[in-house]
Amino acid sequence: MLNLIRNEWMKLWNKKSTWIMVGILILLTGGMMGIMKFIDVQNGKSTAFGNGAIEVSGKPDWKGSLQEELGFVEAQLAHDSLSKSERLDLEGQAKVLEYRLANDVEPISPFSKEGMIMNPSSLGGTVLLLTVIVAAGIVASEFSQGTIKMLLTRPVKRWKILTSKFLTVNLFGILLMVIGFIVYIVLSMILFKSGAGQELTWNGKEVVEVSIWSKSLYMLLLSFGNVFVITTFAFTIGSVFRSSSLAIGLSLFIYFSGSMVSALLARYEIAKYLLFTHMDLTQFETGMKLVEDITMPFSLAVLAVYMVIFLIISYTTFVKRDITA
Amino acid sequence: MKPVVELKNLSKTIGKKKIIDNVNLVAYPGTITGFLGPNGAGKTTTIRMMVGLMKRTSGDVIIDGVSLNDNFEESLSKVGVIVENPEMYKFMSGYKNLVHFARMHKGVTKERITEVVNQVGMQNRIHEKVSTYSLGMRQRLGLAQALLHRPKFLILDEPTNGLDPAGIREFRHYLRQIAETEGVSVFVSSHMLSEIELMCDRIAVIQNGKLIDIREMSDTKDSFYYIEATPEDTAKQLLVNEGFTAEPLKNGLLINAEQHQIPGIVETFIAKGLQVFAVQPHRKTLEDEFLEMTGGGQIAESYTK
Repeated sequence: MLNLIRNEWMKLWNKKSTWIMVGILILLTGGMMGIMKFIDVQNGKSTAFGNGAIEVSGKPDWKGSLQEELGFVEAQLAHDSLSKSERLDLEGQAKVLEYRLANDVEPISPFSKEGMIMNPSSLGGTVLLLTVIVAAGIVASEFSQGTIKMLLTRPVKRWKILTSKFLTVNLFGILLMVIGFIVYIVLSMILFKSGAGQELTWNGKEVVEVSIWSKSLYMLLLSFGNVFVITTFAFTIGSVFRSSSLAIGLSLFIYFSGSMVSALLARYEIAKYLLFTHMDLTQFETGMKLVEDITMPFSLAVLAVYMVIFLIISYTTFVKRDITA
Repeated sequence: MKPVVELKNLSKTIGKKKIIDNVNLVAYPGTITGFLGPNGAGKTTTIRMMVGLMKRTSGDVIIDGVSLNDNFEESLSKVGVIVENPEMYKFMSGYKNLVHFARMHKGVTKERITEVVNQVGMQNRIHEKVSTYSLGMRQRLGLAQALLHRPKFLILDEPTNGLDPAGIREFRHYLRQIAETEGVSVFVSSHMLSEIELMCDRIAVIQNGKLIDIREMSDTKDSFYYIEATPEDTAKQLLVNEGFTAEPLKNGLLINAEQHQIPGIVETFIAKGLQVFAVQPHRKTLEDEFLEMTGGGQIAESYTK
């Protein structure tokens, strides 16, 4: 199996397009950071003109906005219709907000160095786009090049070959994630100034400090969930229909329009069982859930079921197929 | 001699149509077996079933004593395959292609790869990208990948498609050499008769999914003579009386006579006052025999059961 993966890896990196993809990833990540910096500078200017003091831009009113947020959370808590998990979640938020106000602990500004480091999930989209291209083509291209007949007349069972391809796609996704993350962190360090805030969380008993690095890696892991789901889908379509363009098209369509479908159907029970509702795992950290009463374990379970279905389809068609081309 | 490969009751049904019907065939070490058939007769399907590209509806393939049904990996590890034009990864060098395929077999060392590269005479350009190769070079690379793991059985499906005469000749030479020096059993499918005739020791003919004939090329062929004499009717009558079968061919007659019988026939003709214009040995080519066997240009698809 190791040899098969080495083969796939070799084929992948002998294509120019793979290297171009890495270049694109670095450029897009850099560009994204540049835009963030630009917005930050523009914001800084407008506040600076208003207050006349650059170094304290936007600072005086953080307590006020936290007070407002606390009020909002408490209003929500007053409702009886909340589910158990939602209630726990909101109570945690309230505790953190109270702690901040009582002990004068400032939240991390999203435009500070720490704020940027803490949320690298924007990488997910770029990595996803590029990994989908590889996932869609890794089986389909063997058919279009005609090399499939060379590949399958070896003393290696077909399921092993497909597994090596699937693992290679995921390794590639992870590698892009790591490269993107390094670029992201380096640019965050260079472009953004350090802030004074501290990240806090409620662990059920007390408010504790959270290291920005563990939070950062956790967000990275969650955003990889999306990459994994969509690339598995692309891999399945690519191996079933042997067309990489169809696979890329469908996957990206699902990625972009899926959340809209979920949002439209959010009122109905069925939305809870749609793949789209659960693809984005970062929704549990940011609190912007597509459907109100879903939890992380539930989402993971639904995703697992979908993944198993995709892979079963992919494996059965690949193993049974008569190679005639 | 113990056969290297046995096809046992191999059948393939697609939908309701029987594409391959109960094919039984053996191939021996050191020999080249030709597999002939008109287009659509089932050559490619049979070969693809032998190498795991297509599922067998029923029957089995035994390679060096191991059943393909029971132990796919071990059975196929003894087989080298070239299916039509060998498609390689064009974006990689020839050498990397060989490394790629070598990794899929057990026990192919770097030394072995170098050895095979030298054997097919590719050492000068093996590190260049396959996209820069000519068809002949790709064909050689195809042969190299099929030989890497020292197969006991080499299957080639239409291997000379698209090669020029020099390339075909070179290829034939390679195959001969491999069969003779390494005792490999070679199985070649083609519809190019002259090529098969020059290359093979045995031929198997398939039509409409059924094996209709297997013959040794070294068989002493029936000897035929072409005789042109007038009046034709009298000549024919005389020959039939002597116990020959006389078939009309062009302006004369074709008879199945041995060399030593010819002077007697000519004497009889002269004695009876016939005018003899030509007496010459006639050799039936494989093409004649093939067309005889398969009934000319009939296309298999139009044949319905």
